[in-house]
Amino acid sequence: MRLSSWGTLRSPIAYLFVLPALLIFLVFSIGPTAYTFALSLFKWNKFNPAMSQFIGLENYKTVFTGAGTPSFWSTLGVSFYFVAGMVIGGTAIGLALALLLARGGRALASARTMVFLPHVTPIVATSLVWVWIFNPQFGLANLVVHATGHKNIDWLGDSNWAMPAVLIYSLWHELGFVTVVFLGGLTTISTELAEAAKLDGANGWQEFWHVTFPQLRPVVTLVLLIESVGSLQAFTQFFVLTRGGPGYTTATLGFQLYQQAFVFSNTGYAAALAVVLFLVTAALSILQLRLQGGAAEPRSLTRSLSRSRPRSQPRTKPRTQSLRKANP
Amino acid sequence: MKRTTITAVIAGAAIAAVALTGCSSGSAGGADSSKGAPTLSPDKKVTITFAEAMASGALKTELEKVTKEFEAKNPNITVTLQAQPDYGTLKTKVDAAVTAGTPPTIAQVYGDWAAAYAQSDVLEPLTDYAAADPSATDGLYKGIKNSLYIDKKLYMWPFNASTVVAFYNPELLKAAGVEAPKTWDDFATVAKAVSKDGVVALPMDPGSSSGPAGGTTVYELMAQANGTPVFKEDGTPQFDSDAAVKALTTLVDLKKAGAVQTGTNYPGETALGAQKGVFDISTSTSFYYDQQAVGGKFDLAVAPVPSAADGTRVNQINGTNIAMFNKATDDQKAAAWKYMQFLTEAETQSEWAQATGYLPVNPKTLELDDMKTYIAKNPYVTFASQDLANSSATPPYAWVEEASGDLAAALQSALAGNATPEAALKDAQDKAEKAMAAAQ
Repeated sequence: MRLSSWGTLRSPIAYLFVLPALLIFLVFSIGPTAYTFALSLFKWNKFNPAMSQFIGLENYKTVFTGAGTPSFWSTLGVSFYFVAGMVIGGTAIGLALALLLARGGRALASARTMVFLPHVTPIVATSLVWVWIFNPQFGLANLVVHATGHKNIDWLGDSNWAMPAVLIYSLWHELGFVTVVFLGGLTTISTELAEAAKLDGANGWQEFWHVTFPQLRPVVTLVLLIESVGSLQAFTQFFVLTRGGPGYTTATLGFQLYQQAFVFSNTGYAAALAVVLFLVTAALSILQLRLQGGAAEPRSLTRSLSRSRPRSQPRTKPRTQSLRKANP
Repeated sequence: MKRTTITAVIAGAAIAAVALTGCSSGSAGGADSSKGAPTLSPDKKVTITFAEAMASGALKTELEKVTKEFEAKNPNITVTLQAQPDYGTLKTKVDAAVTAGTPPTIAQVYGDWAAAYAQSDVLEPLTDYAAADPSATDGLYKGIKNSLYIDKKLYMWPFNASTVVAFYNPELLKAAGVEAPKTWDDFATVAKAVSKDGVVALPMDPGSSSGPAGGTTVYELMAQANGTPVFKEDGTPQFDSDAAVKALTTLVDLKKAGAVQTGTNYPGETALGAQKGVFDISTSTSFYYDQQAVGGKFDLAVAPVPSAADGTRVNQINGTNIAMFNKATDDQKAAAWKYMQFLTEAETQSEWAQATGYLPVNPKTLELDDMKTYIAKNPYVTFASQDLANSSATPPYAWVEEASGDLAAALQSALAGNATPEAALKDAQDKAEKAMAAAQ
C-alpha cells in the first residue's frame, strides 16, 4: 500500500492533476501568508513601498509588550471573552435545541427551519437590524427590559453590556448552524443503547450524560473547533454593532487587525497582529484536533459497556439483571 | 516533512523581506514641482477620474449635472465619476488604488488623509497651479483657504464645505418655557429643562476608536469654547487640558441627568424625527435629512451652534477637499485642475449649494441673485457661511485620524461611566501622543 502511494506521488501526471488546486492555494493562501510575515518586519508605507523601513522584530515587540493602542493583551482578553461566550453558550444552547428538535413531528420540522434561518442571513444586514433592536431609546430589546420592570439598558453604549449584546446577536446568528450539526450527530448515534439505558432504569439526564453525550463527543469537538476558530476571526458584527467600543471594550484581535491595517494604515504592526492571530488560531486548532483524536472513540461509553456486559452477550440478559436490581 | 515545509515558508518570507529591504533604499517617487503647472491644448482629448462619495440623492444628481456642464464647456475633457457609497468606502478604495499604483486623477479627501498621501509622496502639490490665478485662492473664505495647506504647501482644493449648526424642535422648547441656547452654558441649562417624559435633549454619536462622529464634534466645540481646542494648529493633541476636561464633565453630567443619550447611526436625527429628541447638533448639510426625519410633524428650527461664554463664535469646518495624485499624466493634471477650478466658481457653487445644502466656499457666491433668493428661504445659510471665515478644519496631519479615534474612545468610556473624564482624557492624550510620535 505504501509502495503504491509512493509510486503515485512520483508520477508527474499526479502532480499535473493537483497543480490547479495547488496554484490557487499558493497564490491565495501560502503567498499572502508569507508576504504578511515579511510585512510584519517593516514599518510599511502602503502608499509608497519605497519609503518602507526594515525594523526587524520591532512590531512584535510592540505586540508582546502591549505598547499598541489598545494593548495586544487587552484585545486578546476581549477575544477570549467572546470566544468563551460563543463556545460555551453556542455549544450548550445548540445541543439543547438539537435535543428538543430531534423528537420529530411536523411542527418541530418547521421549527428546525426557523432556528436555521438566521444563519443564512448576511451578517452586515442583520447586524444593522440589531443596531435598531439595541437602540436605547426605541429598541425592541429595551421594550422587553421594561416589561420585566427594569431600567433602560444602553446595550451598545455601556461597557458592561456591549459584549453581552454582541454575544446575543452572534448566538442568534450561529445557533442554527450548531443545532443542525448536533441534529446530524444525533441521527448517527445508536438508539439501542438509549433503550438499554432506559430499561436499566436510567432517567433522562443519566441517559443523556452517560449514553447520548459520549456518543456525540466527536461532534462536540467539531463544534468546539468550528466555533472557537470562527469566533476568534469574527469581525463583521463588531464592525457594525460597536466599532470596538465603548472605549476598547469590544476591540477584538480581529477588529484591531482591520483597524490598524485599513483605518490607521499601520500596515506592519497589523501584519504582526495577523501573524500572531494565525499562530493562536493554529495552536487552538491543533490542540482541539489532538483532543478530537483522543476522543474519536467514545471511550467512556465503550468502557462502561465493557464493564456492564460483553458485546456478544445477548440483549435479554442485562434486562433481567436490571429488573432484578430494581426489584430485589 | 513538516519541518521542511516550515523552513521553506520562513526562507521564502526572509527572501521577500530582504527584497523589500532593498526597496527602502530606492528613491521616492514624486512630481517635480519645479517645472510649474502643466497646460492642456484644447485640441487634445483627455479623460480624468474623480473618486468621490456623492453617491445618492441630490448629491449624486447635482455632481453629475455640474460635471456635464463642465464637459459641455470643455469638450476635450471627459470626467469619469467614481462614486463610492460613503467616506469609509471611499478611503478604502482610494487607499487600495494608490497602493496598487493606479490612483484616480483626483479624489475627495479629508485633511488627515491628504497628509498621509503627501507624506508618502503620492500627491501633486498645487502651489504652482494656483500661482497662475491667485485671486481664485484669495477669493475663498479664510477658514477654507487655511484648510488647503499641508506644511504650508497647497495640496488641496475646496469642494464640499459645511459648518455646525443646531437643529431643534421649537415646540418642545416652548413647552418647557425655554429658548434656543446662545452659549454652551445656556445649552446645559436648557438641555436639563427639556429632558423629561422620555424626551432627551441631545442624542449623539460619540464616535469610536475607529474615528470621530457628530458627538465628537459637539465635544470638540465645547472644549474650544472653554478656551482650548483639542488639537493645536500643528496637530498636537491637547485632550487633557482643563477646558477639555470641563467639556467632558459637562457632557457626563448631562448624560447622568438624562439630557444626553449616546447612540449610533445619526441618533440625533432619528430622535428629532420621533419627537423624542430636542436638538441635533450637526453639520449644516443635515438640514435635508433632518427635514426628512421630521416629515412635517413640526417646523424644524435652526440656530447657530452655541458660542463661548463671552459670546465668541466657535465653529468647525467640516466636509472634504479635492486632492490630485501625481501619477496622472500632465494632460490629466491640467484637465483636473480646470475641473477643480470650475467646481469653485461662484455660479457652480451657487447651484451646488442650493441643490445639496453644502455651503459656498467663496463669499462672492452669496452676492448672486439666485443665491440671495435661496438664502431668503433658508436664513441659516447666512450664519453658517459666516462661520467659514473664522473657523478652522481639523489640522491636516496623518496621526490626527488615529488620535481622534482615541479621543472618541475616551468620550465613550467617560459617558459609559467606565472612567472619570480626567482619567479617560489623560489616557487618550497618552495614546494620541504615541500615535503622533509614530507618524513623525
